[in-house]
Amino acid sequence: MERSCEEIREMLVDYTDGQLSPGEADKVSKHLTECRNCRRMLNALQKSLELADVIWADGLEQTKDVRVSIQSKAKKIHWPRYAAVAASILLVLTTSIVWRALVRPAKKELSFVDIERRINESASAARLLAAAELLAEYSDNEAIVKEQYRYIVDTYPQTSEAVKAKLKIQ
Amino acid sequence: MNEINPDFAAKAGQTDSEQLSKSNLGIFLAELGRLKRIVAGFGLSPSDGEDVLQDVSIQALKRSGKYRSREDDVRWLIKVTVNRCLMEHRRRRSFRRHAQEILRRRAKFGAKSNRADEKAIVVEELEIVRESMQKLDDPLLGPVVLRYFCDLNSKEVGEILGLKPSTVRSRLREARMILAKRLLERGVEP
Repeated sequence: MERSCEEIREMLVDYTDGQLSPGEADKVSKHLTECRNCRRMLNALQKSLELADVIWADGLEQTKDVRVSIQSKAKKIHWPRYAAVAASILLVLTTSIVWRALVRPAKKELSFVDIERRINESASAARLLAAAELLAEYSDNEAIVKEQYRYIVDTYPQTSEAVKAKLKIQ
Repeated sequence: MNEINPDFAAKAGQTDSEQLSKSNLGIFLAELGRLKRIVAGFGLSPSDGEDVLQDVSIQALKRSGKYRSREDDVRWLIKVTVNRCLMEHRRRRSFRRHAQEILRRRAKFGAKSNRADEKAIVVEELEIVRESMQKLDDPLLGPVVLRYFCDLNSKEVGEILGLKPSTVRSRLREARMILAKRLLERGVEP
């Protein structure tokens, strides 16, 4: 390829796009009348663009039916609001847990002595209740029977026999 | 969720409020035809094109409130669309319809290009150009589509792609020479 052909080919695209100055365009035109190879290149440039246009037009034909669904309002996530709500919930939970831990009375631990005492009290109350019921069955002295029941209620108030004795009095 | 079909909305005049026309969404709707042209220029399939336009519409909504001038917003929209199309192009999903399919549909629907004359189009020639466009590098494809299919000048293309007009012109020269040379190399006599 001659030196002048190289120069002209550099300008051919701008020539077809009408981007050259009148002087440059004249120079290219003159060269094209004399050079078959550069004419071929010019034709190939035009032909390739025509064919590209066919491909583009086909794409556009298919794309024109494309539908786009648009949300009229963008979904906005209000992070500060969510953070404030989460912080409030966390604060309430923490306060509640701490409060309960501070206020709740500690459970008394039972010793063996206490356990034994309670068993003895229950046994004594049961024996006395049984005796009072026998007395009520075989004696007419109601006042003495009631006094027996009252004794059970007063002496062993934490036992189930005390509850039964209270009912008998009533 | 309140959905608007922009095509329908544009026809029915449902989106004619002044506020909407100034918003990015309004500009998106007004420019939808041009954006579809860009999508077609990059050779995307209709489904890929739909995805691209959907994404662009979401980005336009997210950008609401950052209104500068209409020209800036239109440039921004085109830029976002081009970038999104290039992403699809990189996945090698562009220009998948072969020449025969294009010509078959062309014959069926009577679609005509503005530039192509009525001479018979040879399948092989069309296929060469299709393959060449598919293989064209990203930096070359964008300017070619915007300049020759969207009819923007080099300055406008440069503003959208962040390039100097002289760089746009040199890329256009390179791209077009590639397409032309491939035709000649494959023995096509134009």
